[in-house]
Amino acid sequence: MADHKTADLSTAERVYETPPTERPITEAEAARAAKLSANEHIKIASGYLRGTLAEGLLKNATGAISDDDGQLVKFHGMYLQDDRDLRAERTKKKLDKAYSFMIRLRIAGGVVTPKQWLILDEIARTYANGTLRATTRQTFQYHGVIKSNLKRTMAAIDSALLDTIAACGDVNRNVMAATNPAQKGAHEAAYKLAKDISDSLLPKTNAWREIWLDGERVVGGEDAGEVEPVYGKTYLPRKFKTIVAVPPSNEVDVYAHDLGFIAILDKKGKVTGWNVTVGGGMGMTHGETDTFPRTADVMLFCEPDYALKVAEAVMTVQRDWGNRNVRKNARLKYTIERYGLKAFRAEVEKRVGRAFQDPKPFTFTGNGDRYGWVEGDDGKHHLTLYVASGRIKDIEGGPQILSGLRRIAEVHQGDFRLTGNQNVIIANVPADRKAEIDALVQEYGLTAGAGALRRNSLACVALPTCGLALAESERYLPSLIDELEESLASHGLSEDEITIRMTGCPNGCARPFIAEIGLVGRGPERYNLYLGAAFDGSRLSKLYAEDVTAADIRPKLDPLFAAYAKDRKAGERFGDFVIRAGYVAKTGNGPDFHVQTGAQKAVA
Amino acid sequence: MSRPALLPRTAPFGDAERAHLDAALGSTTALQRAWLAGFLAGLDAASGAVPAEAPAPAAPPRAAEPLTIVFASESGNSEKLAGDVGKLARKNGFKPKVVDFADLDVPALGREKRLVVIAATWGEGEPPARAVRAYGEIMGEGAPRLDGVEFGVLALGDTSYAEFCAIGKRLDARLEELGAKRVLPRVDCDLDFDKPAAAWIKDALKALAPAEPAGNVVAVDFARAGSADEDVEVSREPVTVEVIEHVNLNSSRSDKETIHLALAFEEAAPAYEPGDSLELYPENDPALVDQILRAAGLEGDAALRQALLAERDITTLSAATVERFVKATGHEEARRLIDNGEVRAWIEGRHLIDLIETYPAKLTAQHLSDITRPLPPRAYSIASSRAEVGDEAHLTIAAVRYTTHDRARTGVASVHVADRIRTGAKLKVRVKPNKHFRLPKDPATDVIMVGPGTGVAPFRAFVQERRATEAPGRNWLFFGDRHFTHDFLYQLEWQEALEDGSLARIDVAFSRDQPEKIYVQDRIWEQRRELVAWLDGGAHFYVCGDAKAMAKDVRAALVKAFADVKGLDAAAAEAAVAGLERGHRYQQDVY
Repeated sequence: MADHKTADLSTAERVYETPPTERPITEAEAARAAKLSANEHIKIASGYLRGTLAEGLLKNATGAISDDDGQLVKFHGMYLQDDRDLRAERTKKKLDKAYSFMIRLRIAGGVVTPKQWLILDEIARTYANGTLRATTRQTFQYHGVIKSNLKRTMAAIDSALLDTIAACGDVNRNVMAATNPAQKGAHEAAYKLAKDISDSLLPKTNAWREIWLDGERVVGGEDAGEVEPVYGKTYLPRKFKTIVAVPPSNEVDVYAHDLGFIAILDKKGKVTGWNVTVGGGMGMTHGETDTFPRTADVMLFCEPDYALKVAEAVMTVQRDWGNRNVRKNARLKYTIERYGLKAFRAEVEKRVGRAFQDPKPFTFTGNGDRYGWVEGDDGKHHLTLYVASGRIKDIEGGPQILSGLRRIAEVHQGDFRLTGNQNVIIANVPADRKAEIDALVQEYGLTAGAGALRRNSLACVALPTCGLALAESERYLPSLIDELEESLASHGLSEDEITIRMTGCPNGCARPFIAEIGLVGRGPERYNLYLGAAFDGSRLSKLYAEDVTAADIRPKLDPLFAAYAKDRKAGERFGDFVIRAGYVAKTGNGPDFHVQTGAQKAVA
Repeated sequence: MSRPALLPRTAPFGDAERAHLDAALGSTTALQRAWLAGFLAGLDAASGAVPAEAPAPAAPPRAAEPLTIVFASESGNSEKLAGDVGKLARKNGFKPKVVDFADLDVPALGREKRLVVIAATWGEGEPPARAVRAYGEIMGEGAPRLDGVEFGVLALGDTSYAEFCAIGKRLDARLEELGAKRVLPRVDCDLDFDKPAAAWIKDALKALAPAEPAGNVVAVDFARAGSADEDVEVSREPVTVEVIEHVNLNSSRSDKETIHLALAFEEAAPAYEPGDSLELYPENDPALVDQILRAAGLEGDAALRQALLAERDITTLSAATVERFVKATGHEEARRLIDNGEVRAWIEGRHLIDLIETYPAKLTAQHLSDITRPLPPRAYSIASSRAEVGDEAHLTIAAVRYTTHDRARTGVASVHVADRIRTGAKLKVRVKPNKHFRLPKDPATDVIMVGPGTGVAPFRAFVQERRATEAPGRNWLFFGDRHFTHDFLYQLEWQEALEDGSLARIDVAFSRDQPEKIYVQDRIWEQRRELVAWLDGGAHFYVCGDAKAMAKDVRAALVKAFADVKGLDAAAAEAAVAGLERGHRYQQDVY
């Protein structure tokens, strides 16, 4: 268990810039004069996220949309992608790239009813590539939906009383919440806060309904005050991710998010208020040291009644202070580094209209999921199933995860919860229905667990659909874990929990920089290997070896596993061990992430 | 100075021809005229064009006998034969008139004296599309009486279809029923129609000749000078081409396989026009050849193997094939198929290999030759315009693969191209003109093209041509296939065409991208207002592709569109579309 972070007092010694006092520029001319980044101009010209999306859908000779619309469509929960496995053959065949869309839903807290599940399943089979992908942020995404099917898919999602608004883009995205249903009261409070934040910080433009559901265009309200009272014309400088955690589990990875709420519980498990965290984030760019991952600061404590106001204030300060000139430095983590946590907190308190207490103590024990059945305070039962990389599909000759969960949804009377670790919880099962669920789990080859390393693993989607991927991730990690499990077993470490995460690029969707073993794609079959993060996700890792080929990952780790098995102290985590033993330097926070990299001493 | 006319007005020449002849002959000497008379007589005797009964030179000159030759053509074969009849008839002293069924005035048929009918049968016993109207009128209750009309019917068909030559047969019976007099028996031709058709034509002209000799007609074939509005004759000689591009246009995830073939002519490309087809001489699947040789007990006969590979149709199984097989082998079981009337049902979905494997018999090379027919070339719409690709021709060929009776089957030519032809290979081809599938003469006329699947091929040629010639008319393409991502043939080219304006718009229908099937006719219906507006503005409408369902559904959709947009009743809407057809503004090339 690592020390929890509090506001770093040393920040007082640093010299910070003076924060802006104006609201963001929303005039095209002024934006050009101020040299705002390209996306700002697109937002200004978009007419509240409309752009030429409606016209682009009618261009039936191409599966793509225009570049500018490609930026805007993210606000609607979609990414234009193409099947990169097929790229090589397409031009020769006189075919355009195999374009399709990734569609991400907004499901606050990751809770869906069985009825919704059945609709989502049907969409996966009808319009997507036959899979539902549980993401690292507690929602579903679809892959492979072609342009001509977008509106049908959106209508189907709407029929499930769900939407995709703000699932991507420069807005407050899907709000995550702790899933631990055993802590009934705390979870309910966490879920409610997540839902409230999600609802109140949702963009208000009617563009989504208009474009995808053929909704009536609301005439008139072009005045920013009316259309988007909180966001304004230009929304946020960059994506903004919010979570709600309930200790002792850090399953939502509070330190990796822009804004976080950590439940402070009394002895009976009741929520007395929230520690508010700001400025976490994973994304960086290879070779650019002014970009870095950062763990969030725990800024203040607020009482339950103020949580929503604090959330809005944090977001609006970032709206006004965030860097709109340099997009790669636009996230809240850079805003905090630029203006200092003290000034930021003061501005938040000013906007809420009162001062808050300093954070209260809390303890996290890890950021993984609890697999198998647990019984809640209210006597209901909850089954956490392991889903490799969150990929819910029927595997030929293997588990029939999609079909199995569909069957469960047909009989299940409780609900489903997605976890931040890409897993699925069948929640609120009465005791007398457990056997029925178990039988279906058995029948379809679903599993409530895996080897220690595997159940602590995360992988992003990467190839073939993600346009950012530099290397494989989801398709490769399972076989890498096979290798590493052999290695761990040879050192008697089969049952030791070690977190391992892989991403195809350094944008960090699977939060690789807070995993004890982080692998980040550099090129085909080449990864940077990061070590030394805290097991509970509170400390960043450090670059240990650059450009490791896939074949060389196990040989690089095996001697470290051997040393860990031999030299660790009782209860010492792998991430802590590699620092104490001197193999890798410890990272304080974002700004020193790129300092003192590489292996610090030879391993036997 | 005018000279007195030498030729009587009754001579079988047009006024202009007569004037020319008078001018030429008027200044000849007696010696020259004698030489010419002998020369002309010898010329025709040598070519065999003159009937044995040479016209008596002393007989008084008389008018040429009118002969009407009507043809119902889909692929152009009947039309070509009708032209042959016309030429030969003129040599033989007739005054021929060649009429397309599409333009036939049926009520006026009763006024004809002599009628030659050349009719193709299409698909499952149907008339060629252009002939549907007139055929319907002849077969219908309102048909005129034809008493006193003499006629003969030449039927074209394909024995691989059940209803072989059905249209020719029905017309033959119907004309008699209407009172016309059959002067020679009908002949039904298979794909290798050249010889039987030539023989029938000769017989027909004899049979239709007037009882008395046709007078002292000077039997000279004055080749018609090509008039301006007719296509230049393209060489029908097979030539060798080199494959310079061979690519499957469908994605590797598609369950379809469509080969784009770019062929380079060694010399200048034959003068094909957008809309023409190219006939390709295929070879049979060597594995099938070996199977047949094995089944026939003729393995090791290299000469036979070569013949079966390149010259004989070793797949088609017709009732006639079974009969010839039984005749050659005396196979008792196979004979029972015929005797019991089961042969039609049995050959359904079966090929020659099934016959000789099911009814094993010792066969000779001669037997195999007798049983099979010559391997015909396969025609594919040309997918390029010479104006854009120069001395090349491009084809778009869908590989045909299917399974019947537990045996995997392949299309002879398409799979030859897909599997056994690669870049650098040589192929034998010849141009097959299609005068009835032509861009509008006026380049400013708008064009609507409906071409799902490989039906898009000629429209690639159309768009290339219209771009290269900077035709100001707008071009609108309807394309369809199974999946947008994997089967959008020539997608990048259509995108470019939309960019540069050579396509004004494109509408696409991908049948399997969504739960309900969407086809081009559905898009036509959706776009009916715009479509009818284009047609009202004089646009030409073209359909290419599947004859069985698509072409009919498209036509029906257009009729419905007219009815809806213009508020017409069904009959009036039908008449509107029929009007387009008669005006040659609705053209189709279907297969």
